[in-house]
Amino acid sequence: MPKTVLRVVDVVKRFGGIVAVDHMSMEVYENEILGLIGPNGAGKTTLFNCITGVYRPDEGDVYFMDEKITGLPPHVIIQKGIARTWQKVRPFKKLTVLDAVTVGALLRIPDVDSAQEKAKEVLEFVGIEKEKWSRLGSEITLIEHKLVDLARALATEPKLLLLDEVAAGLRPHEMDRLAKVLLRIRDEKKITMIVVEHVMRFVMGLSDRIVVMHQGRKIAEGSPQQVASDPKVIEAYLGTKPL
Amino acid sequence: MAKPNKILGIPRRNFYGIIVFALILSTVPALLRFNTYYVYLATDIILIASLVAAWNIIGGYAGQLDLAASAYMALGAVVTGNLLAFYGLTPWLGIPIGVLIALGVAVAVGYPTFRFGIKEVWYALLTAALVVILSRIYWLIYGSTETYLPTYEWSWFYLRFNRYEPFYYMLVVMLAIVLWINYRIRHSKLGYYLNAIREDELAAEALGIDVRRYKLYALMIYATLASIIGGIYVCITGVVGYRNFDPWLGITTAVMGIVGGLGSVEGAVMSGMILRTLEDYLRGTIGSQYPGSHLLVYGIILIVVGVLKPEGLASLIEYVKKRIPWLKS
Amino acid sequence: MISVEPMLLVQNIVNGVFMGLIYSLVALGLALIFGVMDIINFAHGDFVMIGAYLTFLLATTLLVDPTLTAFITMPLFFVIGVAVYKGIIERVLGAEPLIQIAVTVGLLMVLRNLALMIFKAEPRGVPFTVFGFPINVGPITIAASRLVAGIVSLVALFLVHMLLTRTKWGIAMRATADDREVAELMGINVKKVYAVTFGLGISLTALAAALIMTFSRADPYLGLLYGLLSWVIVAMGGLGGVIGVLASGLIIGVIEAIGISVVSAGARELFIYLTFFLILWFRPRGLFGRR
Repeated sequence: MPKTVLRVVDVVKRFGGIVAVDHMSMEVYENEILGLIGPNGAGKTTLFNCITGVYRPDEGDVYFMDEKITGLPPHVIIQKGIARTWQKVRPFKKLTVLDAVTVGALLRIPDVDSAQEKAKEVLEFVGIEKEKWSRLGSEITLIEHKLVDLARALATEPKLLLLDEVAAGLRPHEMDRLAKVLLRIRDEKKITMIVVEHVMRFVMGLSDRIVVMHQGRKIAEGSPQQVASDPKVIEAYLGTKPL
Repeated sequence: MAKPNKILGIPRRNFYGIIVFALILSTVPALLRFNTYYVYLATDIILIASLVAAWNIIGGYAGQLDLAASAYMALGAVVTGNLLAFYGLTPWLGIPIGVLIALGVAVAVGYPTFRFGIKEVWYALLTAALVVILSRIYWLIYGSTETYLPTYEWSWFYLRFNRYEPFYYMLVVMLAIVLWINYRIRHSKLGYYLNAIREDELAAEALGIDVRRYKLYALMIYATLASIIGGIYVCITGVVGYRNFDPWLGITTAVMGIVGGLGSVEGAVMSGMILRTLEDYLRGTIGSQYPGSHLLVYGIILIVVGVLKPEGLASLIEYVKKRIPWLKS
Repeated sequence: MISVEPMLLVQNIVNGVFMGLIYSLVALGLALIFGVMDIINFAHGDFVMIGAYLTFLLATTLLVDPTLTAFITMPLFFVIGVAVYKGIIERVLGAEPLIQIAVTVGLLMVLRNLALMIFKAEPRGVPFTVFGFPINVGPITIAASRLVAGIVSLVALFLVHMLLTRTKWGIAMRATADDREVAELMGINVKKVYAVTFGLGISLTALAAALIMTFSRADPYLGLLYGLLSWVIVAMGGLGGVIGVLASGLIIGVIEAIGISVVSAGARELFIYLTFFLILWFRPRGLFGRR
């Protein structure tokens, strides 16, 4: 029985009259890549925000390594070891690539010089070329943004990494580059990941397990093959757009 | 771990930069032939440059458009001034007391403000309102009568002199200290965190930064420095009143910081010195015929910089740096 | 304990209500500009100040009542507003708040110091108005000028409300405020809407200035007062539309009146800005909801 890293129990989040997340429960096991998929507006990003402390759930609880973290502010949650990246990249435009990643590293290493060394290590790990390190956040390409975002999060030494639509907007060969990095994160750094994704080819090929959300609820769970042939999933997708 | 490339916690080249800059500034009174009026203007320019450099910590690094520089400066001034005038207390003690009171106000205002997530335009307006509130409170307590400080020919104990040179050198030292603190912050965890907050608060928080706490740190350091500058200022002018709480000084301080390019303390100091010199020059020439014309020019510069070159003077400095190789680290 | 003559308090509050109506009128222009265009305009109050001086010049040159000058200054300010939009504001649309603030502070300094250069910091009042007489309602005395100013402001607020809800232009403005991209897809010329909104916002300050000049004087320092005041009202009114602005203006007018009665005339700003602090801290979405 694999160890449970994250447990989401009956989480509800409403915005006015709209129920964005509706009694959602799921578990994430150690060292797996969990794909979280679902049609637009299924509540995936809202669930992310409930886990990372951007929103406080209206009902239900979130447990990380058996510790209740419901409603803690984001800067405390990352301290516990849950890092994230953003659906729309949020670069530090006027900081260099190296400095941006150093900001992440400073969470565990208060000394700037040592944090910078750590940042260099992480940048090398995600595969950003040395000559790009002194570029400003406003001067790099989308794939580099995604990798810097990822490096920033990795530099905080998380146990669990939440990736919100990392592949969106990338070209196929860039997706392959990203997927390789993610697999290395799982295999070499032993970090568990939840990947919210719309690009099916990407998430199906990458994930060990898939959870499907629709209208704020979990409608299916299982291996990529099981989920792809699940009639409920097909219906949910066909109701909006084809797979 | 030993860091041979650093002196007093800042990079070697920044340390020598400050020393050279201070030495160059030290020659100015002699170049002005110790002319009272010119040395007075030079003192004023260094004072404003120090204030803008202090503002750079909250405005440039933390990215909060604070318009209350004059509030913290005035708190330092009125506390130091009144303690000296009424109780004969030396500014050497008066200034620290002024700093404590300015810090108290900074925390009382900053804590709830950052706690409730007030930023951007609302933070700017709130701090502009703070200056007016303090001015009104002072006015309600002391009325419109001004307090005059006792005069001494030459007293280091009371910080009162019949010449401007001692103040000039004191402020050069102050400017050097403010610059050192700026560099010190920039090369520490605090500086990295403030920059991240300026760029994107949400992303900063998701990297583990307690945004409120670090903003408050920046505000406290800035308020401390501004109130010390205010304490020196009152010894120069020898008079305090509710007019010290001047909303315009708060706004122009921020303007100079913005024109200097946010986050670049070199740009902030340069812009403070250039704009204040220009202001004094225009006031002395066309300003006497057309009151306000010197500030009109200010407004035009600000619009042009904002529309054409939002990175401000700092980008010019970068431009020069890129072309002069030995200025690079 | 400070004792307050009850009748005097009532008298001051009545005055405060009428002042509040004018404040609402000034703030409405700012609320439109901020709400529709997302532009942070720090120079708004200084348009009131320039309008006041212009009213003084026109009234004393043409020898007409200050209120009548609005027929000239409002269209003129509309044109000026469009010109300022085209020349400056359009270039900082969507820029960082800091840049917008910097540029409009620059505009504020230009306007304010133009007034200082031309009028040398002297307050100027129009020495005549047909509304110079007092009206007595029981024990309360109201200056006719304030009554007229209040009523005209109310009518203007109503007309803007109708404009926003009943006309093609108003609907385009509200659509643009909601979502600029969607408005563009619907075929609305957003740039044109912005220009008109800015022009309208500025021309409302000209009307307010003409009304103010029937009982008050033009002064270069009016700019900061009305600028901050308008922002306080916008913070309170949120995006509650014309009604939100009207209610907030009235609240501010009354708070100011109470401040004057209970402490002293010098305390009026103190009360307004303390209210501002409390609103931002405890009702950051305004009393009537804000984005």
